[in-house]
Order: sequence, then structure tokens, then C-alpha cells
Amino acid sequence: MSLLRNLADGLRSLFRKKQVCQELDEELDAFLEMAVEEKMKQGMSRTDARRAVRLERGSLEVTREIVYAAGWESILETCWQDLRVGLRTLCKSPSFTAVVVLTLALGIGATTAIFTLIDAVMLKSLPVANPGQLYRLGDNNNCCVMVGTQNGGSFVLYSYPLYQHLRDHTPEFTGLAAFASHLSDLSVRRRGDSAAAQPYKGEFVSGNYFEMFGIGAFAGRMLTAKDDTAGALPVAVISYHAWQTRFGSDPSMIGAPLTVNTVAYTVVGVAPPRFYGDTLRSDPPDFWLPLAANPDRWLFSPEPEWLYLIGSLRADAASEQVQARLTVELQEWLGSHPEVIPERDWKDIARQYIRLTPGGRGIEQIQTNYATALHLLVTLSVFLLLIACANIANLLLARGSANRSQTAVRLALGAPRSRVIRQMLTESVLLALVGGAAGLYVAYAGTHAILLLAFRGAHYIPIDARPSLAVLGFAVLVSLATGIVFSIAPAWMTSQSNPADALRGAGRSRGDRSSVVQRSLVIAQVAFSIVLLVGAGLVTQSLRNLEYQNFGFVTKGRLIVNIAPSLAGYTPDKLGGLYQRLEDTLPQIPGVLSASLSWYSPLGGDNANERVYIQGKPPDYRWTAPSWDRVGPHYFETIGTSLLRGRVIDEHDTPAARHVAVINERFARRFFPNEDPIGQHFGMGDVSHSGDYEIVGIVEDAKYQDTRGPSYATFFLPLLQTPRGEPIRGWVGAIELHVAGKPENIESPLGKTLADVDPNLTVLNMVSFGEQVARNFNQERLIARLAELFGVLALLLACVGLYGVTAYAVARRTNEIGIRMALGADRKNVLGLVLRSALAQLGLGLAIGMPVALAGGRVLAGQLYGVKSYDPSILGLAAVILAACALFAASVPAQHATKVDPLIALRYE
Amino acid sequence: MADKPSDIVQGTLDMLILKTLALEPMHGYGVTVRLEQISKGTFRVNAGSLFVALQRLQRAGVIRSEWKATENSRRAKYYILTHQGRKRLASETREWGRQVAAITRILEAS
Repeated sequence: MSLLRNLADGLRSLFRKKQVCQELDEELDAFLEMAVEEKMKQGMSRTDARRAVRLERGSLEVTREIVYAAGWESILETCWQDLRVGLRTLCKSPSFTAVVVLTLALGIGATTAIFTLIDAVMLKSLPVANPGQLYRLGDNNNCCVMVGTQNGGSFVLYSYPLYQHLRDHTPEFTGLAAFASHLSDLSVRRRGDSAAAQPYKGEFVSGNYFEMFGIGAFAGRMLTAKDDTAGALPVAVISYHAWQTRFGSDPSMIGAPLTVNTVAYTVVGVAPPRFYGDTLRSDPPDFWLPLAANPDRWLFSPEPEWLYLIGSLRADAASEQVQARLTVELQEWLGSHPEVIPERDWKDIARQYIRLTPGGRGIEQIQTNYATALHLLVTLSVFLLLIACANIANLLLARGSANRSQTAVRLALGAPRSRVIRQMLTESVLLALVGGAAGLYVAYAGTHAILLLAFRGAHYIPIDARPSLAVLGFAVLVSLATGIVFSIAPAWMTSQSNPADALRGAGRSRGDRSSVVQRSLVIAQVAFSIVLLVGAGLVTQSLRNLEYQNFGFVTKGRLIVNIAPSLAGYTPDKLGGLYQRLEDTLPQIPGVLSASLSWYSPLGGDNANERVYIQGKPPDYRWTAPSWDRVGPHYFETIGTSLLRGRVIDEHDTPAARHVAVINERFARRFFPNEDPIGQHFGMGDVSHSGDYEIVGIVEDAKYQDTRGPSYATFFLPLLQTPRGEPIRGWVGAIELHVAGKPENIESPLGKTLADVDPNLTVLNMVSFGEQVARNFNQERLIARLAELFGVLALLLACVGLYGVTAYAVARRTNEIGIRMALGADRKNVLGLVLRSALAQLGLGLAIGMPVALAGGRVLAGQLYGVKSYDPSILGLAAVILAACALFAASVPAQHATKVDPLIALRYE
Repeated sequence: MADKPSDIVQGTLDMLILKTLALEPMHGYGVTVRLEQISKGTFRVNAGSLFVALQRLQRAGVIRSEWKATENSRRAKYYILTHQGRKRLASETREWGRQVAAITRILEAS
């Protein structure tokens, strides 16, 4: 109650100050009058009475101030005063304010942007009910479909029967869900809709998937265990994002019949807005489908391992015990399913194990891929923030010293030291807060830009670029800490000045403490800048080397189109017809020089490998299985891979003809080190197949998946040749076109041609070959661009710092320069005088920074491609750029110094 | 007046003001005069301390104020003890009595 009254009273005197003052004045006047009257009654004159009262009771002016100052609101008021004075001072020197705010905005913005990303990518859990209870069965991100034992024994991918076994025999899990380790392309059309089917991403998940995550429907219902049984009506759950952006939030979608890959489905519900599935990734699933609806029945046999498992552990279960139990279950199951593990690996069954890892963040793909990049970015942004702070401290120091006489006057007039410091502190905190607010904007834009760079080619990134509350707090904290740190030094130093000394001749003192501090800061900035510039140079050169390396194919003028005949309902017997029609019509498109078909195209994210058995040689398990692809006629010509010997695959390589293969150089060197591979035979599966394919040609090596390492040993088979009685594996998924002019120009006629061939043939993706390759370097490009940006910023900041210090020194030495000139120093002497100290700072900064840059380069070495961490040309170039910019920055005030008029300078005295 | 008037014992001004106002509502000057009269000139109240104390007491809700005319028909701000103020005065008086008794006992013990 009294607290409230206190507050109300205080507020009243704050906001209705005039009235409150008047009241107090009136009250004090009455007090004075009454006291004076009393004295006059005793016979004093009015003047004497007033004096006596003042002596007895104290001055009423002072009383008024005391009463004002007694309330809590007076502290607010002095703060408000400080604030107003601060704002006025800042507005009076707009260029100073602009430089400081910009510097801070960039420093804080960069830090906040990175922190936002760290928060969103590395720290945030899946938006599910129980992230803390989630555990994943497995510890790496091996993908897709495997057979047999796994990666050093650590099981990550599971077959469907093994999943069922683990689910039903591990009661420690309240739910154990399975989902395909990779997303599937879907070709979706609303039934009754005449438009062509559209490509979507789908994920096959077990029926208990949503229940295990504790995810309820936004609308309709989620999948249930019942939906995930053979023979159940096919149903699907749509993601909120797809529902909103692709179907206009149409409520009639729920219960609507859809054609998904030519099969009739019903949409039963919409997932909640923030749910993106089990993996944070760009373009998350648009639809979730029950595992049982997967048309590939082979996937339900015990051999193929293709499912990731995440379970929700009971609160009372210990994860170590569950892990041990799971390992036992795994080994038992493997032991009772001899068909799963090839006989030669049976001895390894006892070495297979399951590691339980925290699954609150789902499958940590981005997290693993971007960990290095983000850590590097954090380091860079901290560097930048440090430079920004150093710079601002520097600017404030210079200004504090320049304002020294003013401060001295304030102190001489009786301002308490604490008040002087507080005034400066307020000013700095104000600057920091304005900078922080601007930084928040920079952070928002920066996060956005980084996401676009990092996920080039993505349609949708389920990461919010908006700084979260935590990030907001972080930004404010950083900006405040910065403000306080860089305000204390100048404020303290200024308040140390002896008023009398300062008043006597503030301009003359040289070589004092503050200038030493300033110079050290500039030296530190130069050192930081050279480290960043060298780093930026190294990663940029590395990216150039990666992007412009000889891939073994040509990207210029090439277009890649991804299709999936299986989604359009093709059966193996109809494939030949489809391929023939495509091969006939595609080259007819105006502008197309050549066209070809293949299972997959280079550096598009796909790779298949398979063990081979060479005729007449014992099986050799030392090597990793070679890669393979299926290609049609004109393939190598279309993508620009040259033939070295023999012939390529052509129109005559039909299923009925002799089965042939083309190999690359590496395959030839590995399997036929001392013989001619042409005419040799090999096959897949087991030794009995070793006569299946005859090698007819050798092509140059090309990179299909790994851009840094050497090309994989690879063999190419015709599109339809397969051992008798076996189904065709590797259906056409990519069309390659070599076109005249820009590949993009061909996109619309191509779409029409494909629709003419088959309107159900959905174009999953159409992209120029160059862009497809470029997307492999998203991470490297992100790092390079940011390093360049940070390097340039650091360079700019260092120059601003050097300029500030030099300009300040010139200003303070004006009369010294004047005297020197009066005594006969010429332009050159003066220029030398000023530049000498700038050069010394530059030299020292380089001397400190270069070894650090070299050490940093060593750390980077693992990430670099084709460039040495101590590359002399990069080191030299960085040093030259820095020196040139710094000298330019310092020469501006130096030029001013030479224009000093001795007469005017001396008049300062 | 044998001794020079001294400042009021620290921490007791609030209580003394409350006591003064308990007799009747009074303006600031009246409070000083009365305090000096009753203490027979022992205490001298400085205007600064007085008005700060009055503001503090008012904010604590133990007194309230209103503008009234004095007997000399001058406008002055009168302070009035509230119900809460009476309670506070009673408790402070009791506490004071206890402390004085204790201090006296200590001083007389020898």
C-alpha cells in the first residue's frame, strides 16, 4: 500500500513536476514568512529577521534541492538529464555517432546473427512434447539402404523385421518409431484435378511416429498404428507448410482424395505449424506416409537396412542398460537370421552393437555438417566484435582526451567525479543500445542471408531467422557489456585529469597514458585484420580451386532434369518404350545439341556402389565397392566426359544384345593394374555372375560424389541390360541436355516436350549442371563469403581506427608542428613525422598478426583444397592490401598536418 | 538556555513529528516551533530535514496533507496523522520506551 503510494507520488513529481515544485515553493514560502513574522514580533527588522531565519533553519533554496533529491524519482531525473545531455552531444557530432553506431551494429549484428543460427540449429530441440526423453538408436548419419554389417559394427540403419523385433522386445521404450533414412520424391495430384502432378517430398514413417513424438494434429488426425498395416487404406498427413503454401490452407484438404505416385491416398490431417519431422533440414517432408504404404515390397524383407529408429525412453529407464539390452537383442536377431549377414562376416556378429544417443534434436544432419562452419563463424564474429570494441574504445578515448578541458572545467566547478563518469557511462551505454538496436536489424538480415547462402537451392528452410528472445537478451547483453567496457577506460582516464593542469594547457600534453592505450588498440586491430584477411584469402582460394577444378565433365551449357518413372506408374516392361520416346523427342527440341538419360547425374547427391567379381580372379574384399551408374546413348558426349579407349554405350546396347560395360580409368587401374581391361568380364552379386558384362570402353575419371578426394572407381552399364531373370535396378532418374546458349532458356520447351511424352511424368527438379555442381559447395561458399565480408569489415575498421588515432595525434600536436615549421621543417619532414608513428603501428600489427595468421592457417589446413596454409602469395597480398589501406587512412590527417599554418598554430598558446 | 540547541537524536525525528501531529493537524513551521517549545529549546529542527521527513512520512502513508488557512489567514499545508500513523506512533513509542529503559539500565549499572 505504502509502496504504491510512494510510487504514485514519485511518478506524480516526475510527470507533473511544475505543479509539485510550485506546491513545495509555496509551502516553503509560507514557512519562511511565518518564521520571519515570528522574529519581527520579537522586534527585528524584516531584513534581519530573514537573515536570522536562514541562519537558524538553513537556506530554503538548499532545502528545496534536498527535498527534491530525497525521493527515488530524482535518480531517474538525473539519469534523464544525463541521457538528454548524451543525446545532445551525440547529435552534435553526427559523423562520430554514425561511425560508432555502424561499427557496433556490424559487430553486434554479426555476433547476434551467428548466435541466432547456433540457437536455431545447434541448441533447439525438435518441436515435440518430450525432447529430453528421446533417444536415437545409432551414432552416425549413414544413409539410405545398406545390407549386412555396418560401419565398424555401429548399427544405425535397421531392416523392417529388426525394427519390429526391437520395438516388441524393449519395454523400456514407451514408443519406438521408425522412419526411412531418406526422403522420397512424390508425384502428387488432387484427384479430379486436371493439372499435371506436382513434385513433393514425402517420408515413410511407422504408425506410432506421431504418438511417440507426442504430436497432435493441427487439423484432422495424425497417423496411427492401424494405418501402418498391410492392407490398410493408404492415408497421408500433410505438413502445415505444404498445406498453407501449396494448397492455400484449404480446409477441404482433410479427407480429400489424392493421387500419390498413381496410388489413391486420403489426407487425414495437417501436422502442427512448427513440426518439420525428425530432421532439421531444408525442404522437409510435405507428406508423411505409413511405412506399410511403401510400394517397394523388397524393403520389408530382413536384408535391406533402411530405417532410422528413435524411441521415447521411460522416465525410470537408464539409457546405458537399455543400450546394453538393445545390443544383445541385435546380436541375437542377427544370429537367428543368417541370410542377413554374408557368411564371411558371421564372425563379426559379436562385434555389432547399438549406441543410444540423445535424440532430442532428431537426426543431427545439419548439426554435424555445419558444426565446423558455425564454430569458425563464431570465432570470426567474436574477432569482429573485438575489433569493433577496440575501435570504439579508441574513438571514445580520443574524444575523451579532446574533451579534457571541458571535463576539467566541470570538475573545477564542483561536479563530483562520480557524476562525470556517470555522464560518460550514460553516453556510451546510449551508443551501445542504439548500436545494439541497429545490430538486431543487421542480425535479422544477416541470418537471412546466411541461410540463403547455406541452403542454396532450397525452397523452404524450417529455421526462423527472427532473433529469438534468448538472442535478443544476448544482443542487449553484448551491447551493454561493450558499452560499459569501452566507456570505463576513457571516463576513468578523463576523471583522473587534474583540473588545474588540464585548464592550464590541455593541448600540450603528449605521450600520456591514453595515447599508449590507443596505439596498442590500433596495433591489435591491424593484427586482427591481417588474420582475418589471410583466412579469407585462404578459404576463397580453396573455394575457387574446388569450383574450377577439373571434374571430368563440362558444366557449361548443360541442363539436368530429374524425373522418376516409378512415380508415374511405370512397370519394368514399359521402361524401354519410355526411354525410346525420350531419346527420340529430346534431341528434337530447338537448341538441344545432344540429350541423354542416366540413372543419376554427377554431383547431384546420388551415388550407388556394389561389389564386383572379375572373371578369372579371386574375389577381392580389400577395396570399397566401386560405384556404378546406368547411362544411355550419347551420355558421355552430353556431359563432356571424354572417351579414352574403346567405345561408349550406344543405341545398339539393347537388352537382347551382348551385355557391355564402360569403366573409368580408376576402375581400370584398380582391377586391371597390368592388363588390358577391354574385353575382360565382370559382374555383380556373386562369383557366378562374373561373366555378365564385357568391358568395351574406358572413359576419363569424373567426380560423382566426393569433390575433394579422387574420383571413385566407377563402371557404367546400359540402361536396360540386366542378368536374365533379374529386375532392373537403377531406373532412369536424370536427363542430361547439352544446349546451345543458356540452359535456362530450354526449360519451358523441355517441360512441354516431357508433358507430350507422358503428362504423368513429374519433373522433380530442373537445374543447370553448373548450379547442381555449385550446390555441393554451399558450405565452403558460405564460409568464404563470410570470411571475405568479415575480412573487409575488419580492414575498414582498422583503417578507421588508424585514421582516428592519427587525426587525433595531429590535432593535439598542431602547435608542435607549427613550431617545427616555424623553425624550418618542410612538408616532407612533417609528413614523415606523422606517418612514422602510423607506420610503426602498422608494422607492429603485422609483426604480431602474421604469426597468428600462420597458426590460424594451420588450423584451417584440413578444410583447404589445393592451397597451402602458408601460401606466400595470399600472405603477401593480404599484407599489401592492409598496408595500402592503412597508409591511405593515415595519410589523410598527415596531409592536413602539412597544411598547418605556423602562425595560427602558435596562436593557440 | 544553558546549552546551545542541538540536532534531534538520529532516527527519532519521524516519531517526534508524528507525536506533534497526534495532538492536532499542523503545518511545517508549526511542527518545528512546537518541537522546540516542548523540548524547551533542547532541539533545533533544520528545515531541510523537516521537509524531507514530512515527504517521507507522507509517502509512507502515515500522514496526509491538505491546504488550509492559518489563524493569520495565510495559506499553509497542514499535515494530519492517519489511522496508520497512529498505530505507527504507538508502536514506535513503545519501542522507544523499551530502548531508553535498556540504555538507562546499562548506564546505571556499575
